Amino acid sequence: MAENNLNNQIRRLRFENGEMTQEQLADKVGVTRQTIIAVEAGKYAPSLPLAFRIARTFNVSVEQVFQYEDSQI
Amino acid sequence: MNRAQKISLTMVITFLLGLFLGVILIVMRFFDLGVPKIAFLFPVFIAGSGGIISITCFKKDKGAITFDERDKLIEKNANLAGFGAVYLYVIVMSFLPIGILGEEASIPVTWCPVLLIGAGFCQAFAQSIAILVQYGRRDKDGGE
Repeated sequence: MAENNLNNQIRRLRFENGEMTQEQLADKVGVTRQTIIAVEAGKYAPSLPLAFRIARTFNVSVEQVFQYEDSQI
Repeated sequence: MNRAQKISLTMVITFLLGLFLGVILIVMRFFDLGVPKIAFLFPVFIAGSGGIISITCFKKDKGAITFDERDKLIEKNANLAGFGAVYLYVIVMSFLPIGILGEEASIPVTWCPVLLIGAGFCQAFAQSIAILVQYGRRDKDGGE
């Protein structure tokens, strides 16, 4: 059975962008802080528009924020 | 904890409290301890008070954005869980009298509104549990 893992660099990117807080990022991309926490922890896979909004906030591509791993278990 | 979680938690607590009181009253009535039928409205009121408490006590969340795509997904899944629970409840409660009393027996017509009220509680309870489970499972760590 294939397990889909979506890793992300949001935490690192936040700190590289002036130590942006989760609240500030949430306000910029238009979601709640809880959603940013969930995305950052890998517990929620964001929609494509949200992924793009997050990437654009950091001025990087989506692939630099999110990495998809397809592993077999 | 956001507003939906607070409401769900209140609903679950009041429902379980109402259920507990209902069971106590049924046991008391079984042993002929002089419990009037009207007393059974009390646990129903307690179970339903979660909705009243939620409306009066829990105001809208602070912040510019209080509802997003994740909340929408959780709400959708919770509605589905509530619908599924009611579906199962109706099936079980429809066949329960036949199983207990037999095919030739009759039941009072009050069974129908009781079934309806029970379905409402069942839906609210399942929906609340689904909301708590989904938020709880997803919000355990990572907060700053």
